Amino acid sequence: MTTKTGQHPSADDPRVIGQHPSADDPRFIGLHQSADDPRVMLDDGVGVYEPVPPYPPRTEREAEFYTLGEGEMFLNAGPHHPATHGVLRVVMKLDGERIVDLDPVLGYLHRGVEKLCENADLHQTIAYMDPLEYVSSLFCEWPAVMAYEKLLDVKVPPRAEYIRVLTGELNRISSHLLAMGFHALDLGGITPILYSFIERDEIVDLLASITGQRMLFNYFRIGGVNGDLNHDFMSRLGDWMSRAGSEVMSNTTLLNENEVFVRRNRGVGVMDRETALGMCWTGPNLRASGVPFDLRRAHPYSVYPELDFDIPTRSEGDSLARYLLRIDEVKQSLRIIDQCLHQMPDGPVTAKLPRLLRPRPGRAFAAVEGPRGEYGIYAISDGTDQPFRFRIHDPSFLHLQSFNVLAPGGLIADWMAINASLDPIMGGIDK
Amino acid sequence: MDRALRTRLEARFGDVLTGPLRQRHDETELRIAPKDVPDVLRSLHDEPDLRFELLADLAGVDTGEHMQVVYHLWSETTADWLRVIADGIPRDEPRVPSITFLWKGAEWLEREAYDMFGIVFEGNRDLRRIFMPPDYLSFPLRKDFLLPDDAARSPGEGARQMERANAPLATPAGSIRRTKA
Repeated sequence: MTTKTGQHPSADDPRVIGQHPSADDPRFIGLHQSADDPRVMLDDGVGVYEPVPPYPPRTEREAEFYTLGEGEMFLNAGPHHPATHGVLRVVMKLDGERIVDLDPVLGYLHRGVEKLCENADLHQTIAYMDPLEYVSSLFCEWPAVMAYEKLLDVKVPPRAEYIRVLTGELNRISSHLLAMGFHALDLGGITPILYSFIERDEIVDLLASITGQRMLFNYFRIGGVNGDLNHDFMSRLGDWMSRAGSEVMSNTTLLNENEVFVRRNRGVGVMDRETALGMCWTGPNLRASGVPFDLRRAHPYSVYPELDFDIPTRSEGDSLARYLLRIDEVKQSLRIIDQCLHQMPDGPVTAKLPRLLRPRPGRAFAAVEGPRGEYGIYAISDGTDQPFRFRIHDPSFLHLQSFNVLAPGGLIADWMAINASLDPIMGGIDK
Repeated sequence: MDRALRTRLEARFGDVLTGPLRQRHDETELRIAPKDVPDVLRSLHDEPDLRFELLADLAGVDTGEHMQVVYHLWSETTADWLRVIADGIPRDEPRVPSITFLWKGAEWLEREAYDMFGIVFEGNRDLRRIFMPPDYLSFPLRKDFLLPDDAARSPGEGARQMERANAPLATPAGSIRRTKA
């Protein structure tokens, strides 16, 4: 054996094959000898992830969870697991391949957005909203600007409201397409995500032509939006709308008629109406359990009362229903976009406001119907230019919580289907 | 503003209100004492002319003098959001009854409020930290927890009473002032 320089390595070089390294060697601190091959030194921390926490249980529930019964074992999934839609760790208690109980461990993406917003001025907080649910950023900005508009008693011009609805519904379609594609990907199907990305790419490019960004738009402003629709956007949107319906639907036949996909989802993770309301569910997941609750109708905001659309519901409440409901919602969103284009009034796109905003002391709560459910902001003003309290309510947080209800009794593979159909986004959950 | 809701709420909860019933935009606001939370929320949830079935949000608030827990509820019987504020919780020992018996989903929302404010929800079976690590001692969203540097200092310089009292200059550079555990 020679090195690159052509010289023979010295006899005490541990890379020499046949010479067994010893754990006492000071060069190998933090390493241990592999049981399979004594010549291989492994990092002590790699491949060893103890699911049981190294401290005494803090609550009765934690003590109960981390006590193994007869024939049970722990399995740790994450924080880097491809099916967890972000950085999520789930400790599962298994009996054979069946899940007995599970404990999601959050906080790997916690950035303290609420605290940051309480130390930023009103305009700056809107930019902090985008990375929360990074696949549907407009729906995070929307309740924030709505809450501020309530605090400031600002009237938003009608054209700005129509632009918000138009861009919001485009964002909803792209988010649902992604959810549908990743649902298949989590269950082992590679193709659907590629088809989803064709349409999604077109949408993010469309939105980039008016917002300047593909994902983190920072487009909504207090009292309106940042910039009017332009020619590039309108002509490309016209092109896309003429084929969107048929393209999106033709992609979905890949999955809807796929026996493997349907069988892995039907009857998995069934949620009934009462439990769903008790778990504070909202959005498509709640509607798939038969509750026709949609904030666009239940608590109308913006110009939704002027638009004609249906609220699809399904009664099954299983993973397949949650997937199929998203397809129905895409159809309704296309209808809304069509009406927005026809009804869009002329006029300004922002209200006239001073640059430094100091709302009078008060409280405001605003919520919108995002692609995952009710996205809410509770803002308290103390008369300064910064929010005194800025509370972010994320629907994925509550959907993730119901793992404990849906997954026990099912297989590990069912957990993937449940997770994908609930469509949680860890950026929003961990804030 | 739903005037009829105001009349109904004043007639039903007049004796437990600790402050005036306020209405602004599409919001109605009730203020109650923390000990009345389970009874009031159970009535709001169950009674046929109220039926507030959906818990839209649960938030902790630190006003600097005391703590609050704020519940936002939705019902099909009214066009308003209902905001219930459990007011006047002492800062040094904040305790509120849990509402997980009505909404099981409030469990994680209460865990979050505990993690961020240290508010103890009596009756929550799983009250442990949710975002911060288990060995973390302070409660980051309390008003006496100051950010070590002004990463996002606004043009208005944050003229806030609480933060003036504890001037950030007194904080050693690069460290976070911790509250009592």
